[in-house]
Amino acid sequence: MPVSLKSPLAARVAIVLASALFLFALVVRGAKPAPMLRPEDQPTEEPRIEQPMQLLARGAALRVGELDRWITKEQLPEWKAVRGSVFSLAGCPETLDWIETAEGQRFERCVASLRSGTRDEAFAALVLVFQLARSTEWKPGMLGHTQHAERVGALLEGWLRAWSGRAAQDPLLVEPSLAALLLYGRVMRVAWRAPVVGYNAAPYERARALISEVVGESAGRTEFGQAFSTRHPTAARSLASSLDILEGFEDECATLYPKLSGDCEER
Amino acid sequence: MSAQTHTQALARPLQADRAAEWLIALGALMIGSGGVLLGVQVDANRGFSGTGYAAFALGGVIALVSTIVRARGSQGLPRDFHGAFAALAAFLGLTFVAGGVLAPGGPWMFAEFAVLLMLAMRRPREGSRWISSGALWLMVALFVFRLWITYQGGRNHWQVLSVPIPILSWLPFDFLAPIQSVSLGSFTPWELGLPPAGVDFPITLGLWTGGFALCSAGIFVVQLAAREHENDRVHDVIHTLPAPLAGLVERLLPEEEWETLGLHGLATRMLCKRIEALVRERAQRQRDITAAVDRAHLLRLSHTDGFSGSIQSAIVDFESGADRRAEE
Repeated sequence: MPVSLKSPLAARVAIVLASALFLFALVVRGAKPAPMLRPEDQPTEEPRIEQPMQLLARGAALRVGELDRWITKEQLPEWKAVRGSVFSLAGCPETLDWIETAEGQRFERCVASLRSGTRDEAFAALVLVFQLARSTEWKPGMLGHTQHAERVGALLEGWLRAWSGRAAQDPLLVEPSLAALLLYGRVMRVAWRAPVVGYNAAPYERARALISEVVGESAGRTEFGQAFSTRHPTAARSLASSLDILEGFEDECATLYPKLSGDCEER
Repeated sequence: MSAQTHTQALARPLQADRAAEWLIALGALMIGSGGVLLGVQVDANRGFSGTGYAAFALGGVIALVSTIVRARGSQGLPRDFHGAFAALAAFLGLTFVAGGVLAPGGPWMFAEFAVLLMLAMRRPREGSRWISSGALWLMVALFVFRLWITYQGGRNHWQVLSVPIPILSWLPFDFLAPIQSVSLGSFTPWELGLPPAGVDFPITLGLWTGGFALCSAGIFVVQLAAREHENDRVHDVIHTLPAPLAGLVERLLPEEEWETLGLHGLATRMLCKRIEALVRERAQRQRDITAAVDRAHLLRLSHTDGFSGSIQSAIVDFESGADRRAEE
């Protein structure tokens, strides 16, 4: 016999269900949020690059050889040659001038090739870009030559476009990609504020577009953007500024890499 | 024909009873679902966590005060399972809604609590619902405020509003940044009870808004159903009388007045006594009116215009109607 929705039995079932919901509504309020376990802190049995942030810091030269085992055989000879040239770069040449040499062109090809490879290779590409930023001069100076800073920014931009979306949950790439974003903000801010009078609008607008793409808008942050907001709140807060969204990036980057300011002082 | 009519008359109250039961269950389901939705928040990793017990407990205090104020001076109590369940559901619904609109912690929560408490302590109009439209609009405003501060917290903006200072804020000098705007109503992440990974605002907004709507609508449905259920009880008691007598009692005591006459929530014995007293009082009043009309008959129409004429004309109409009823 079909049970009508308005039958006493249906009403009793609904009352029992409502009582269960009342109880659940009371219990659910006490549910604790899951402790935040960062991707890099998750236990794993697989071998992985330990402390990847060290390879983006001043002491990178001490460990960069460890990366050889993570590069595929096809890329290995090129990687070894390029890392040798970048890590032995002396004299603090201007960024664009060096990139236009044969070694610099080889560097660019290698970075592009590694960037489209595995995640370990992408990380190796980022190590090379950081070393370039550390070993060459990209500070605009009094004459406001921003092309060097903009080229460093373009290298970071290409890397962030390719990997930031995948980096948020990647124990190897999450911290390095956030550091890359901070350095990108700093470099582009330097280019933006280069003129003695007024501003150079193009780098600022380019930076704003990229940051909006990888971090998302305030109402809907990407996963990468949420990781960024959690770990670098000062930089994330500056995104809402109407005057200078890159100010927080510069501040946080200066904390992470105090002398990575485009004049080779940190070498 | 008469047997069939009698069966239909018996079946009617039973159907009405079941409809009220069903409505109580439906309203309770809505309140329960809304309470669950108002009690959870979603973090950036799509993990669920609870909103805590602080605001919920204060919501319970508001619901308790409101219930006590409304019950003061009344002898009515829920007299059966469905009545008691409806009262429990409405109480929990008010607790969920009040807890859901309060800020989760800190000074803002206590400020909002004080406002709601003042509203709950106001003596309601006779026969008004548990949530008046004014209270509902205030709760909507507080709910929007809670959503706003959660949104601000989700953006790492720990103040209600940042007001730019004219002229100073127009100058493009970084060193002026600390004095270019004024922060109003600051709060902390701890006060908001946000999860460590940050709140996923769009999903949480959807859950809370759905919960608020379900709870508010559920309270409304449960109130209506509880009233209908109490009317069914009174109806059943009156219909223990022979049918013509029950009809006469229902003419003297119309159903729309049962709640205001204090018939809701009385024990059956008290209910019988109260109906008896009310019928006696109203029948007496009816007799008094008839006697007054008879005495007025002695007064010949002396005024045919204006207010006095209208009143006399109405009495004559009443008298002729009474005469016709007597002849019939």
